[in-house]
Amino acid sequence: MINLIYKISAIISFSILSLNISSHHAFTAEFDANAPINITGKVLKVEWINPHAWVHVEVEEKGKKTTWMVEGGTPNTLIRNGINKESIKPGTVIVVRGYQSKGKLCLPRCIANGRDVTFPDGRKVFMGSSGTGAPRDGADPRERR
Amino acid sequence: MMEFIEWLASTSSSVALRESLYLYPWIESAHVLFIAIFFGTLLFVDLRLSGYVFKELSITEMNKKVLPLTIIGFILMCLTGFLLFYAIPIRNYQNLFFRIKIILMIIAGLNAYYFHRTMNRESKTWDKDSHIPFVMKFSAVSSLLLWSLVIISGRMIAYNWFDCDRQPQSEIINFLTSCIVETELYESLDGI
Repeated sequence: MINLIYKISAIISFSILSLNISSHHAFTAEFDANAPINITGKVLKVEWINPHAWVHVEVEEKGKKTTWMVEGGTPNTLIRNGINKESIKPGTVIVVRGYQSKGKLCLPRCIANGRDVTFPDGRKVFMGSSGTGAPRDGADPRERR
Repeated sequence: MMEFIEWLASTSSSVALRESLYLYPWIESAHVLFIAIFFGTLLFVDLRLSGYVFKELSITEMNKKVLPLTIIGFILMCLTGFLLFYAIPIRNYQNLFFRIKIILMIIAGLNAYYFHRTMNRESKTWDKDSHIPFVMKFSAVSSLLLWSLVIISGRMIAYNWFDCDRQPQSEIINFLTSCIVETELYESLDGI
């Protein structure tokens, strides 16, 4: 009996360990890998919060304004990648590449997972988290090839 | 309630915590570690009480050795858990899984209270006995099941499927999460 319990706990702990590799929450649960986005817009505000920062971007297309809420990594990973409160101030025009959420109604805002952000000076920085199961699109410099 | 949660979110330590670079991930990791200590030791207490393992050990002896660890794990788990809530109060308060988790914790707490009260009173009569009363076995197994569900729903808080900023949701979901949805949003939905 005890032997069996040891075996079961070994299996459970191993599966939990392997689950952990998929980070905070898995990409595929919320975002659509077949819906890549490439938006250019003005930063409205940045929610500089754990466990995920959110960048609100206002995109103007044919006179119609849409607000995008783009999920980034943790404040810690953003700072490490060179994105801080100074570089992503409200009003900055940025280009964001990423993937839209599975629900695409954009109510009240469009939601997306951000992969990289390009600043006005041409600097392109990875803004996501590594190992979330997002498509291997080359945005993450630490990605295993 | 919502005003209190909003006030909580506006306190400076809550802001510092949610914007922190290191503290939040450290608390998050510590929370998981203390869950492991709490649930890992609880597993043995409950399995012994349901009569599956360590039958040669008396229940009192087992509890004396293992239960203090469970209690330490529980206190630290609650403390770190509260800090995680305190860092992002509004999102957590309006999170469906968080609410399910709180309800499950209340049930698990009542179960534990009933269980320990009965055990302290009567366990001497069946301490080394292989015939543990059925209600006690049932209570021990329920405890494991309930705490497992608490951990699972806690894990699910990370997912935003039912979050307020993700509309449209069915009315029942918005009711259960106390989401306030602007009526204009539903008017604009008619156009789609």
